[in-house]
Amino acid sequence: MSGILAAKVALVTGGRGGIGRAICARFIREGATVYAADINPAGSLQQHNDDGSKFLTLDVACEDDARAAMAHVQKQHGKLDILVNAAGIEIEKTIEDTSLEEWNRSFAVNVTGTFLCSKYALPLMRHAAGDGKTASIVNFGSYDGFIADPGLAAYCASKGAVHALTKAMACDHSPEGIRVNAICPGYIDTPMLQSFFNGDGSGGSGGDIASLQQAVRDVHPTRNYGTPDDVANLVNWLASDEARYASGQLWVLDGGLSAQVQQMKL
Amino acid sequence: MDKPSTAHRAIVTGGARGIGRAIVERLLADGAQVLSCGRSKMPEDWPASAHWVQADVADPAQVKALVAKATAVFGATTLLVNNAGVQVEKTVADSNDTDWDLVVGVNCRGVFNMCRAVLPQMQQHGGNIINIGSISGVVADPSMGLYNASKAFVHGLTRSIAVDHGPLVRCNAISPGWIMTAMAEEGFALAENPQAAIDDALARHPVGRFGQPDDVANAVAWLAGAQSAYLSGQCITLDGGMTAASPLQPGLF
Repeated sequence: MSGILAAKVALVTGGRGGIGRAICARFIREGATVYAADINPAGSLQQHNDDGSKFLTLDVACEDDARAAMAHVQKQHGKLDILVNAAGIEIEKTIEDTSLEEWNRSFAVNVTGTFLCSKYALPLMRHAAGDGKTASIVNFGSYDGFIADPGLAAYCASKGAVHALTKAMACDHSPEGIRVNAICPGYIDTPMLQSFFNGDGSGGSGGDIASLQQAVRDVHPTRNYGTPDDVANLVNWLASDEARYASGQLWVLDGGLSAQVQQMKL
Repeated sequence: MDKPSTAHRAIVTGGARGIGRAIVERLLADGAQVLSCGRSKMPEDWPASAHWVQADVADPAQVKALVAKATAVFGATTLLVNNAGVQVEKTVADSNDTDWDLVVGVNCRGVFNMCRAVLPQMQQHGGNIINIGSISGVVADPSMGLYNASKAFVHGLTRSIAVDHGPLVRCNAISPGWIMTAMAEEGFALAENPQAAIDDALARHPVGRFGQPDDVANAVAWLAGAQSAYLSGQCITLDGGMTAASPLQPGLF
């Protein structure tokens, strides 16, 4: 099969979530062999129709799971070209309302998960790099790692940690041909965003969802929020050898939202 | 180079009113000798102990004369505060050559002119330069293309001066957010519902109020003194926490 990712092997954590599915589908269209790794086959959505990805059960916060997932890929292919650390959770609370357990769970999935999956993927990725090919790790930061949304303290902090980890990993592993970047989405239409809209914290103001969503669109310079496919477009490029010189960067993809100062009602 | 602010011989550009005036009065209160300038004649309420020169910072010849006057009045300048600034509320497509000359002339060339004029003295005797940048140099205010870009210029020049002219010269910038001046009050008065506009804007400030000119003057006083002796090349954001938050706050819809 031809495509920008032909002959590449990819593993996407959170691969059955809203954004993860779009990435898997795109990778498959581009000719890659794709493993969708997630807690269960349906991920954060209700059901899953076969999209050609191979499912792996993986709790990213569990070291044995991470080790086993990479051992499986090693056995099947002997290499891994692309790792996308898309698994993530969001606790919608201030620090005062966040329990230690919730805080630890945020960091376990968003930060430790990125650490563990990358750690056990690296030996496989070294086999993929070389002869003009690069291996690519794409982490999931967030625009919330730069600026805060109210009532998302643990999430904001965990994404800031992913940003710093991305740069550290890029420093350490780019010399081996393994590039490391993070993409930092803004508002993307996913189950996580719908939960934010429906939440009784920062997302809810009593109005109906449709008018809330329109108001959110209107604040964006692009007058819309993003789709999982928009994210997949960027992940696909970063995963490909077209991006062979790109490493250690935090790629904000937010429809121009964070380029603006606060939008007052004047 | 890090004199207590009582010992400074300071030039503050654009000191007639607003933030500049607050800086002038604070430095005077701290015991500094202060000379300020503006394109207009000396304000009627100008403090007796401060000096005033009518000068346009955009003009290199006028700046040269301004610094010569300061040298004649109090000797080598030890503190320069580049506060003078103008804004034109237009998009790039709507901006004309006159707008460019005004905004870039004052905000960019003016800061350059002033720094170039005082640096020979400061490189000899030591000195401290504080530029007034803006949060708009980091994130965009709508319909302020030239202004936003001019403030990014100020941030970049701040770093270059710090890098090129240390150790005798320190250079930092302050990036204010919403500071309540006559200009900001006029903006609210134009809103459809002025009170709703004020309430909304306040809700976007974690500290629960807008800035006052004295808030900026406090930061200038600190940057001018020995307590900040290790700080150079930085742009300090002073906005009541506004830009720490996302510009999109569904809770405020």
